[in-house]
Amino acid sequence: MKEYELVSGLETHVELSTKTKIFCSCTTQFGSEPNTHCCPICIGLPGTMPKLNRQAVRYAIKAGLATHCTINPIAKMDRKNYVYPDLPKAYQISQYDKPLCSNGYIELKNGRKIRILRIHIEEDAGKLVHERGDTFVDYNRGGVPLIEIVTEPDIRSIDEAIEYVEKLQLIMKYIGVSDVKMQEGSLRCDVNISVREKGSESFGTRTEIKNMNSFAFMQKAMEYEFERQVDLIENGEQVIQETRRFNTDTGETAPMRGKEDAHDYRYFREPDLVTIETSKEEIEEIRASLPELPEQKRQRYIETFGLSEVDADILIKYRKVAEFFDEAAKAVGNPKTVSNFIISQVFRTLPTDAEKEAFDVRITPQSLIELIGLLESKKINMNVAKSTLDKMLQTGKTPDQLIDKNDMGGVDANTLTAICQKVIETQSGAVQDYKNGKEAAFKALIGGVMKETRGKADPMQATEILKSLIG
Amino acid sequence: MMVTKEEILDIALLAKLSVEEDKLDELTKEMMNIIQFADTINAFDGEVQEFDNINSLSNVFREDEVLPSYPREEILKNVGGGENGYFPVKKRM
Ligand SMILES: [Zn+2]
Repeated sequence: MKEYELVSGLETHVELSTKTKIFCSCTTQFGSEPNTHCCPICIGLPGTMPKLNRQAVRYAIKAGLATHCTINPIAKMDRKNYVYPDLPKAYQISQYDKPLCSNGYIELKNGRKIRILRIHIEEDAGKLVHERGDTFVDYNRGGVPLIEIVTEPDIRSIDEAIEYVEKLQLIMKYIGVSDVKMQEGSLRCDVNISVREKGSESFGTRTEIKNMNSFAFMQKAMEYEFERQVDLIENGEQVIQETRRFNTDTGETAPMRGKEDAHDYRYFREPDLVTIETSKEEIEEIRASLPELPEQKRQRYIETFGLSEVDADILIKYRKVAEFFDEAAKAVGNPKTVSNFIISQVFRTLPTDAEKEAFDVRITPQSLIELIGLLESKKINMNVAKSTLDKMLQTGKTPDQLIDKNDMGGVDANTLTAICQKVIETQSGAVQDYKNGKEAAFKALIGGVMKETRGKADPMQATEILKSLIG
Repeated sequence: MMVTKEEILDIALLAKLSVEEDKLDELTKEMMNIIQFADTINAFDGEVQEFDNINSLSNVFREDEVLPSYPREEILKNVGGGENGYFPVKKRM
């Protein structure tokens, strides 16, 4: 069999977290009673006039700048016509040939750049609810501002597709324009897929899978669609250009009914809205408001702080964690200690992704700085530091409140030698076992020393002394 | 530019209009007249601005401030009060 390559492009819809809808002053709040966030504008009553939300435009420009786009000095809105009950006006106000942003990219770990063709703003549709064969509409979501981010067909594997969406999601979170929650629908992907023989330069016929709202489904849908297209070609059949829907129960994609797919959008300029002109000054002002982006942070953590790539990736994945880390790292001798404490100890109390994301912990950067300060000035050893951190996480107290003054200062060599001698005498059985080659018995001796010193002893030093005493 | 009967039927389908067979010739002729007017405009030889910004207005914005929405009874008035707070969708053929 020949070898085939996946060729994919994504259209990602991201709901902007403005307070109000794109063309009216209704709230964008999620999860309220149906049709309670509506007005004549967002239910499309005749004679109403849309008024463009300035913040939606700013957020879209911000998203464009964060993904290396050019911001077009002149943009306009267009009507995209189609008849479906979730769209009360029978057209969606979107952007066709003059989008706000063009020609950006997101760079993947393997160095490949996924080019972004355009980012435009548009209004979201309402939500259809199907019940016992009947259909009902809730227009609360209708008119919520969206940006659609369209890539070139630059993606060559499912892993690349997922990495692209993860990167995009993280950037949007960092710049604060959306909460990009796939499960709540504030980030949704349409995936274009075609296949071709490896090494070929031409493109095959593509299909589009609509509305992927989880990474797991996206992975499965793309696997299925790739196999399906390869099978067709291997059997001498043709791939038909069509829109397909992923069935989450069967794990298969199936064509959408002809009628839904047969779109002729008849785009034309939205006559009720004027052009959007963006000055250079305004672009620079928005650029200056961008925070440090995930990719820049990652670089800095690796280059300036000497973190491993793996650790840097974990820290930047959660914006609040990265902020906490930055705050603590700047005031300690070795930032790696902060990263180790967060990743190995703090994260143990936050098992889920959502918990790490929220990062609702009882320690502050200041209390961690205090703890690491004690460790770095050798007032406490690593054992005491670790157990203190656990207590801090449980109680919200500071190291000062938790560490017994007797635990400070470690144990001097003479005292430690005396204690080791005492442990050897009281645990002669363990000493004998160790001498007979039972390595595990040595742990009991170290344990004895630690107990005697209330954890203050340096285990390395204790090991050395014990070994020299046993001979 | 010519307009065919098939195109008229296609436009009717997109606009969800039903066109009776005996009206088709007349409609095709009318549509052709409209389209030909566009030909007249296209024939204009001269400088055309890229943007048809007739009143040279741009950047009319609204600030992102929430105002109260309408009471749901008002919103659902045109669909007989709705069903359980929703707009019911009439089954299409
Ligand atoms: Zn509204």
